[in-house]
Amino acid sequence: MSVFPFTAIVGQEQMKLSLVLNVINPSIGGVLIMGEKGTAKSTAVRSLAELLPELEVTQGCAFNCNPQGFLCNSCRDTLAVEGSLQTETRRMRVVELPLGVTEDRLVGTLDIEHAIKQGEKRFEPGILAEANRNFLYVDEVNLLEDHIVDLLLDAAAMGVNTVEREGVSFVHPARFILVGTMNPEEGDLRPQFLDRFGLCVRIESLQERSARKEILKRRAAFDADVDAFLCRWEEEQQTLSGKIVRAQQRLQSIEIPEEALDKIVDITAALSLDGHRGDIVTMRTAQALAALRNHAVMGTDDVRDAAQLALRHRMKRLPFEEIGLEFERLQSALAGL
Amino acid sequence: MGFSDFVGHKDARLALVLNAIEPRCGGVLFAGEKGSGKTTLARLFRRLLPEGTAFVTVPLNVTEEALLGTVDIEETINSGKKVVQRGLLSRADRGTLFIDDVNLLATESMSLILEVTGRGVNLMEREGISDRADANFLLIATMDPQEGFLSPHFLDRFGMCVLWEGLREKSERAQVVKTAMAGRFSGGTVPGPSDTLLRKRIENSRKVLEMVSVPDPVAEHIAQTCLENAVSGHRAELFLYYATKAYAAYRGDKIASTSHVDAVAPLILVHRTREVVPHEEEALHDHDRERQEKEKQSQPKEMGDENRAGSTEPARTENHDPSDTDGSDQIDPLASPRESARKEEVFDTGETFHTRRLSFRKDKLRRTASGRRTRTRSKDKGGRYVRSILTGERDVAIDATIRAAAPYQHLRNRHHRLVIHEHDLRYKQREKKTGHLVIFAVDGSGSMGARRRMTATKGAIQSLLMDCYQKRDKVAMLVFRKTGAEIVLPPTSSVEHASRRLKEVPTGGKTPLSAGLLEAHDLIKRYGKKAPETRFLLVIITDGRANHTLSDLPARQEIQRIARLLREIPSTDYVVLDTEDKSTFLKADLAVPLATHLGARYFTIEDLKAEYLVEMVKREKDGG
Repeated sequence: MSVFPFTAIVGQEQMKLSLVLNVINPSIGGVLIMGEKGTAKSTAVRSLAELLPELEVTQGCAFNCNPQGFLCNSCRDTLAVEGSLQTETRRMRVVELPLGVTEDRLVGTLDIEHAIKQGEKRFEPGILAEANRNFLYVDEVNLLEDHIVDLLLDAAAMGVNTVEREGVSFVHPARFILVGTMNPEEGDLRPQFLDRFGLCVRIESLQERSARKEILKRRAAFDADVDAFLCRWEEEQQTLSGKIVRAQQRLQSIEIPEEALDKIVDITAALSLDGHRGDIVTMRTAQALAALRNHAVMGTDDVRDAAQLALRHRMKRLPFEEIGLEFERLQSALAGL
Repeated sequence: MGFSDFVGHKDARLALVLNAIEPRCGGVLFAGEKGSGKTTLARLFRRLLPEGTAFVTVPLNVTEEALLGTVDIEETINSGKKVVQRGLLSRADRGTLFIDDVNLLATESMSLILEVTGRGVNLMEREGISDRADANFLLIATMDPQEGFLSPHFLDRFGMCVLWEGLREKSERAQVVKTAMAGRFSGGTVPGPSDTLLRKRIENSRKVLEMVSVPDPVAEHIAQTCLENAVSGHRAELFLYYATKAYAAYRGDKIASTSHVDAVAPLILVHRTREVVPHEEEALHDHDRERQEKEKQSQPKEMGDENRAGSTEPARTENHDPSDTDGSDQIDPLASPRESARKEEVFDTGETFHTRRLSFRKDKLRRTASGRRTRTRSKDKGGRYVRSILTGERDVAIDATIRAAAPYQHLRNRHHRLVIHEHDLRYKQREKKTGHLVIFAVDGSGSMGARRRMTATKGAIQSLLMDCYQKRDKVAMLVFRKTGAEIVLPPTSSVEHASRRLKEVPTGGKTPLSAGLLEAHDLIKRYGKKAPETRFLLVIITDGRANHTLSDLPARQEIQRIARLLREIPSTDYVVLDTEDKSTFLKADLAVPLATHLGARYFTIEDLKAEYLVEMVKREKDGG
């Protein structure tokens, strides 16, 4: 089944930008997309897969271990025996977490077939293994079962999945970019969970008639002839993935001046945010923005735009204060820049 | 009886035909009363489809294993390899998934179905199995709106909706009876001659469909139609687009026209217009009303049936007789201060405070300290499979059992079948969300407006909502005023939503307390059917000055009777929050007998705030 191209999605620029920034700098930690039903939330996340760059991983590793990073048990064993690790490249992926997932498949468990045939206990990787260094996508994230959320939070906090089940012990890295979509009318998200998302965007349906018509036209063209449609958008797709790759290369060399840091701290202080995650995520996002915009130095506009994406869901609010109100407060804090 | 012989209900038949031509029309929901033929027609749908097309029915008691798939026990034990038993959703691929009484299906099951619908693929990550199977199906469902709610989010996933009205025409009714007498409702699966013709026509239409073009102005008309109807999201446009094309093809036209759009638009729009608060206008001041009138005139199209369809609750019609609001009908001599009864106002939400805990009494032990949802271990096979445990009955967790047995197969000299010993057996621990539903029944009568008491009352409710949020309870709200009661907020877990609705609650008119109680009673009954494990807390917020009755009985007597009805409902607790100003010597304490009848706990707003800490400490002590 062909996927509707990311670049052909009409409007919803904030949503698209937040996803792209996460590709450029995965340490931002994902995005929560809140919005009405039928606003291309899922389409955007699923189509992101086409734009993802390649990763360097240790050869044959089921956990996508970064040869320079924290290693899984089997890579450690290999390293101990062979003294070095071979590498290969794999394309980054969007791994989906279905709502009906059970614990054993999320964290991994005993490999049944191997146990039957060999009489030997071996670990069978779960979704957290697949998701390491990839996007982990949960559609309708607010409907996810609490016991699954607990496991996700655990893994996200440590960046590591530690399994002790059915007589199997295993440890592997589990650093994933968490992407969730939700319709807020269906229920809230636990604050600890909310905090795990690097960025948050709230989207609405487009109100201009021309935009709505454009949606229809593109959809019609896509349905009529998928290949022709993909072909027509190929160039746009290429341009965007090129931009992403170049931004990734520039990312580490972006200069972060003192004033930029001061500004970030000014904003978060003005909003009296708890903890430092907001500051850190804002900085990483601003860095990615600067890289995307081909700025050599992180500028005020990068900081401001990053704060809009990174702080919205971190502001103190009464449980049912509307998000719109916070947004105004955020705007006024940013106006000082 | 065939599909084509079905009496009446042209809309419904058209909707099905369009979906048979173009499955991207997104399925159909039939909403209407019981026994009106919804299910019969839906089942006849398969006559329109090529033979061998899947038609899978989802029973209401479906387990998640049955929906999504599970381990094929026999095959797995015989072969020693994990073998998947495909679930209903995968089996419905390229066919139809039919859900009768969809609003009674457990919310969790509904979420699973819709998630898969959205993806078109059933990703199974369960019980040690990782499997991916296509699951593109057409969703056809029926519901009786009087039986329960379906959230707008779920509604939106249905491409089309048909409001199913019972046949009123005498001749039509007679024909239905005749068909029934002839015993032809339960005919075989072989289509009759007229259905064969229709099937041919549908097949032809599919061929035409590929050639149908939608000119620019028609696409614009589609966008405009959706904008005018204030639909949220863009699904409506796409569904309308596909339906228009299908309709054009059905008519044999290769170019879609605006009249095609108009012909099918009601099917797509009826259930997805932005949730309108029923009787919103009444909630506004007069000048606001004028403004709204003007705005309406600038919108060429009226919202038509949306009130009826948008809220699954049939709105009770209120008559606009001016004598309604004057409060002169003296049923209770202690009726509300008259000057405020005439006015209609919307008071702001007052200050909030930490509330005394309104806990579910019968439930203290099971509630966790962090205040999250209570989990009950379900005895039947319903609920989510959370983990495997060593002891249980019947509900064997085959994945865990095999995992337990697997390492010993060599030792046990397995030849063909797996050797499973009794101590390998593992069982499924299942959890069901025993949602807690807190229902706020708010007195919106004029007497509540005196000295802005409504502001303080709203503050108190808001504070209670805060408590619900922390405990992750679901909430619902109904308002009784003038001559009736209405649900302004169907059960939701979005407290944000609730507090927005609270702000909009108007004040003015008489006090139909018994109507409010009855509405609450019906709501609990309805919701209890859908989620039988739900525990209810009904919070009645009133000064108790009932002065409008449903029957000829005196208000007090009527209330007493309904209170008795309410008390018969198990797993429900009651709280009466008395809003009367207790500082004046005119106080009548009319809410006190109400609390007595209900066996409710009784608080004044002051009580709620006061001695919060003292109460907490006492409770802890009692509990320990």
